Amino acid sequence: MAPDSLSITSAALADPTRRALLERLAQGEASVGELAGPFDMSLPAISQHLKVPETAGLMVRGCDAQWRPCQLTVGPRKDATDWLEHCRPFWEQSFDRLAEYLHRVQRKEKKHGRKK
Amino acid sequence: MAARSSVATVTTERELVIMRIFDAPRPLVFKAWTEPEHLVHWWGPKGFTLPTCTMDFRLGGAYRFRMRGPGGDDHWLQGVYREIVEPERLVFTYAWADAEGKPGHETLVTVTFAEYNGKTKLTLHQAVFESVAVYNDHESGWTACLDRLAAYLAKA
Repeated sequence: MAPDSLSITSAALADPTRRALLERLAQGEASVGELAGPFDMSLPAISQHLKVPETAGLMVRGCDAQWRPCQLTVGPRKDATDWLEHCRPFWEQSFDRLAEYLHRVQRKEKKHGRKK
Repeated sequence: MAARSSVATVTTERELVIMRIFDAPRPLVFKAWTEPEHLVHWWGPKGFTLPTCTMDFRLGGAYRFRMRGPGGDDHWLQGVYREIVEPERLVFTYAWADAEGKPGHETLVTVTFAEYNGKTKLTLHQAVFESVAVYNDHESGWTACLDRLAAYLAKA
């Protein structure tokens, strides 16, 4: 089974180096070299780290072979936010029904004696 | 489109918290979530039914629901139970899926059941990055990162 999107996003963010890289990208696009600057790490190691948020769709890299700036994407996170907005009415209405249902069940239990 | 300038607003929008008090004993409210014969009576908005409700109710077990809307439209919902503490806490993943079972965006739902003057206080928490938040509980680096991301989203 393919790993779920939450796991992918979690993995991408669950590492201090990657979080620092994304934090730097939040200030604007940057090359791998620029991103590597503050770290005591090789460029390939940084590249390896960047692949994780890239796969998770949190970041994209430019197509230019020489200059491939990394950039944060908005998509996945924005989708997630929109999605949660839709959840509230779902739960609110379900809970209305749950309240009614619990009421019915308890009334029935009373009628049938103190059956557990 | 107006940009959201407040970091707090954006952060809050990433999670949903709903609290409700039910006039029923806690074990019964918990059961209503964990047994299909109860669940089919209330799950989903008004006018929806639950023609398919399979639940492997155990840690790591999966559930899969087919909800049918008033217009006969089917919606699949599925996930995995991540934490079960009867009768006080239930954690499961939650994703809408297509009929083939390919899930869309996944979130984590935490439901807590507390005794409340003979009634039950239910709190539902649904979040996008809950698992990360747990791993990095109150870690300042993570908070700073989220703040930056939020600021970035506000500008975008």
